[in-house]
Amino acid sequence: MTKLGRQIEIGPTDNTSNERTPRNRLHLIPDAARASFVPWAPRIQGLDPAEADLTRLAPGRPRAEGDPIKVTGKVMDEFGRPIRNSIIEIWNANKFGRYSHIEDHSGLQLDPNFLGLGRTVSNDQGEYEFWTIRPGAYLARPDINRWRPKHIHFSIRGGSSRLITQMYFDGDEHNDTDPMRILMGDNFHVNIGKEYETPDEDFDSGYQFDIVIGGKNPTFFENI
Amino acid sequence: MTHSNKKINRLIPTNEDTIGPYYPISFCDGDSIDMATTKNGIIFKPEGEQIKVNGCVRDINGNLANGVLLEFWQANAKGVYRTPDNINDPDIDPWFTGYGRYRTMDGNFTLKTIKPGRCGDRAPNITLTIFSDGIMRVVTQLFFENDPANDQDPLLQVVPEDLRERLMIKKTKENEYFIEIIMAGENETPFFDDLLS
Ligand SMILES: [Fe+2]
Repeated sequence: MTKLGRQIEIGPTDNTSNERTPRNRLHLIPDAARASFVPWAPRIQGLDPAEADLTRLAPGRPRAEGDPIKVTGKVMDEFGRPIRNSIIEIWNANKFGRYSHIEDHSGLQLDPNFLGLGRTVSNDQGEYEFWTIRPGAYLARPDINRWRPKHIHFSIRGGSSRLITQMYFDGDEHNDTDPMRILMGDNFHVNIGKEYETPDEDFDSGYQFDIVIGGKNPTFFENI
Repeated sequence: MTHSNKKINRLIPTNEDTIGPYYPISFCDGDSIDMATTKNGIIFKPEGEQIKVNGCVRDINGNLANGVLLEFWQANAKGVYRTPDNINDPDIDPWFTGYGRYRTMDGNFTLKTIKPGRCGDRAPNITLTIFSDGIMRVVTQLFFENDPANDQDPLLQVVPEDLRERLMIKKTKENEYFIEIIMAGENETPFFDDLLS
């Protein structure tokens, strides 16, 4: 049987997904062209360590409303090898389910002490750590009463590692009806942050979210 | 904690997900869709033909796809990519990264760059990755219409002949080009599988 590229599925009840998902099967890339599909993004200079703390606008400012949480994890390839120096960006809604993004027109409550966006770089072991506020679920489609479960968005790039994903929370009542979660099928569990206790630390709890970047995109070929 | 896939002894990759509608705009602050000029007031410029590629991204209804994040990647005028492996290549252009990223508010874009060179049997091309609400990341590679190297390009050869046209950047005037990306439906742009390939 000849190997074929993936047929991307459309997220059920998701309008944008219907409008923007390619209908044709993806074409496989021949070996002679494969390396050209792996960009090498230049580093971001001068990242401020405070950018990994989303619980305050800046050190010394009041803490945002809601439960402070710690999100930690390791970025690696399919063989468990750490992916170092990759830029990890996260963004999440505030306690009330509202983004500070100018195009979020939901009208939900804003929190003047919460921007909900942060960046960091994975260390030599591929590890990262963020502090944020446990996000609220939000009603994404009032017309069909469809909610988005609590989630934190992740983007990993830099070097050639690249992945856009979301971390979900175990037991959220809206998980099972989420269109993108439905597309993940039985593999949904890898996108759930594993909750752990944080005794003596000023967090409600911690979440371990290890990120495995699949395929040939995690590291530059000859660097493996 | 890790999850092993017993069959092939590899970890299960984290599922890709949509970028959603709210990718923080400020994360794009340092980004540039202008690879043709050197930043920070330096007089030097990359070698090669300076070009402008005007383009747009459309959805299945022909509407502009607002809020998409575009990433461009290409070789320099001599056909060399700036990767760690090529760092000692004498044909590396110190004034050219080949990397550009841009969040388009309305779905239109203008890429300023230099025309990429031919690299072995690879015709001049620009890799484009699109991140958007509603989809996982999709990737494609764009070529220059009527370039003589197109006939031998190994990537174009795997695309059915009648679809190749859709990957062609067309010249509109001197140093200026145009491309329309159609994400879905009629005249859909061919996309490539960089996970299974
Ligand atoms: Fe979201």
